[in-house]
Amino acid sequence: MNFSETLKLALSAIWAHKLRSFLTLLGMIIGVTAFMVVFSVLQGFNSYIDEKIAGIGSNTFTIQRFNFDDFKDSDTIAEAQRRNKELTLDDLEYIRARTQMISAIGAKAGGNGRTIRAGSNSMEGVTVDGAEPIIGEIEKIDVLKGRYFTQVENTNGLRVAFIGTDVEDKLFPRGDSLGQEITISGIPYRVIGVRVAKGTVFGRPMDSFVQLPLKTFGSNFGGFRGSRYLYFVGTSASDETFDAAVDEARTLMRLRRQLEPGEKDTFGIVTPDAISGLRDSIFGTTFIVILFVPTIALVVGAIVIMNIMLVAVTERTKEIGIRKSLGARQADILRQFLFEAGTLSAIGGLIGLILAELIGLVISHYLIPTVIPWYAAVIAIGVSAAVGVAAGLFPAWKAARLDPIEALRAD
Amino acid sequence: MYKFMDDENGERQPAATDTAQTGEGLILMKNIWKTYQMGVEELHALRDVSFSVNKGEYLAIIGPSGSGKSTLMNLIGCLDSPTKGDYWINGNLVSTMTDDELARIRNKEIGFVFQTFNLLARATALHNVELPLIYAGMGSGERYEKAQAALASVELGDRVGHKPNELSGGQRQRVAIARALVNHPSILLADEPTGALDSKTSVEIMALFEKLHAEGNTIIIVTHEHEVAERAHRVITIRDGRIENDEKIK
Repeated sequence: MNFSETLKLALSAIWAHKLRSFLTLLGMIIGVTAFMVVFSVLQGFNSYIDEKIAGIGSNTFTIQRFNFDDFKDSDTIAEAQRRNKELTLDDLEYIRARTQMISAIGAKAGGNGRTIRAGSNSMEGVTVDGAEPIIGEIEKIDVLKGRYFTQVENTNGLRVAFIGTDVEDKLFPRGDSLGQEITISGIPYRVIGVRVAKGTVFGRPMDSFVQLPLKTFGSNFGGFRGSRYLYFVGTSASDETFDAAVDEARTLMRLRRQLEPGEKDTFGIVTPDAISGLRDSIFGTTFIVILFVPTIALVVGAIVIMNIMLVAVTERTKEIGIRKSLGARQADILRQFLFEAGTLSAIGGLIGLILAELIGLVISHYLIPTVIPWYAAVIAIGVSAAVGVAAGLFPAWKAARLDPIEALRAD
Repeated sequence: MYKFMDDENGERQPAATDTAQTGEGLILMKNIWKTYQMGVEELHALRDVSFSVNKGEYLAIIGPSGSGKSTLMNLIGCLDSPTKGDYWINGNLVSTMTDDELARIRNKEIGFVFQTFNLLARATALHNVELPLIYAGMGSGERYEKAQAALASVELGDRVGHKPNELSGGQRQRVAIARALVNHPSILLADEPTGALDSKTSVEIMALFEKLHAEGNTIIIVTHEHEVAERAHRVITIRDGRIENDEKIK
């Protein structure tokens, strides 16, 4: 009997007991669905973060006051606050004067939420921060219209502003923000450019901001202290020299801070690798634990399939006897029941996959985008079929070994 | 110990072993024992049974229940192996064969007809008839042709798509006969073929067996009904696991 005929036989046996087959498969369906949903969320989350990292600039690094490690607990935070001094523009000049690997480095100042006004319109909670003009190149800022800052505007502390699309939409509903004035804390600024929209990251809007030249920001808001801390963003000429550039930045900062060998950094350097590493350390174990639960459902599903296949063998003892009397060999009977278990289980996997896809659509709509890669779909069906075959092994073996005379005598 | 049979021309058959070698005797059983172990006691279902059947014979095996005739039928049908003794069918020594080899013999050499028809309930008449061909490894096109032809030969050519529960008892038994014949077996082995049928249908089925015999098929019917046995050309009577009588009646 060839493959398609055995498959047809299996399908007709499954179809003959539709409700029972479905109930049998519930465990399998729940297992595969849960597994695929968790997996798709994980995948979606990963690609989401990768995308956002790419959006920030995959070959930029940030020199800042604190390191990720400093936030472990309150003691390390307290220690870091004592040891790590705030960065200064002199630090930046020190690096700039000595670097060979860093192709560009610029300073930014931390922003905070402020109310922006334009005419009779106002918008609250807009992030206002400052950046050097070179940041436009380093972060590869996409300008929707107008332009980014010039060096002259920064050096002279001119009151110009580069804004996000949310701000333009809210304050200039007609989209004519360029050249218009916005007011922050009573000081007017002229809009010179609008950035291409970026959407949201973790639910935070990325386009609700006003950026000012660093010097303008510093002098109008009371210097680079507290929440307006300075940090530097640097990049290398190419991806190949990126690690060397990061190493050099670290070395220069240690020289600048006069740290002894073996002494801990009194600053932090954040790279895209560090971000994905942090993500992995947070979510890696969590997802393994979460994936463990659907695995249990799969095992339970397999046991249910084995049970129902044992029932099927008992019910169809007569059929097995008839087939044997007509010349079916043990291998024929074995294959028939293995196929049936495998097909049954693969159908469960398929239903589970479809359900997971539907749930994924809902999650994508309301939470974060989910992804079921094609290979995961293939694996899901393959694994469930394999689980079914494994579960069917013992019942099929029992069927194949039946004595034809005994089997024919069965009712 | 065993008897030599005279064939229809009255010529003496060669010795039993020679029969197997020359291939004239289709079935040869030689000193067959079948013993069941019931706890410490041994139960001899067959004791030293020997006989041969030639091609084209119409044989009935008769005996009361418990006589060992079912055991004998299972051995003839290669559903079981003897405890002791040699059994040849169509030149194959089957008494020492493995399960899978026996399955092949059942497929190629034997066509079963059972008292309760033993059709697959979920399958159509056509599919039921196709089953032996499926296990013979035949392709679907050829299989379809042969199964159609076999059903037509038992006058069920217009019922191929019916399932067993849509057919009468006589029709079911004819499907079973078509299934038994479709692979051109050496023998048609029928176990109480009319046991589940009314007398009118029984007559029809027995007439069909006679027709098949006339066409050259070798037929062995196992029964406890004398009326059925009397239709055969030779009757072997079994009692207490031994051949009590073996006579030609036509």
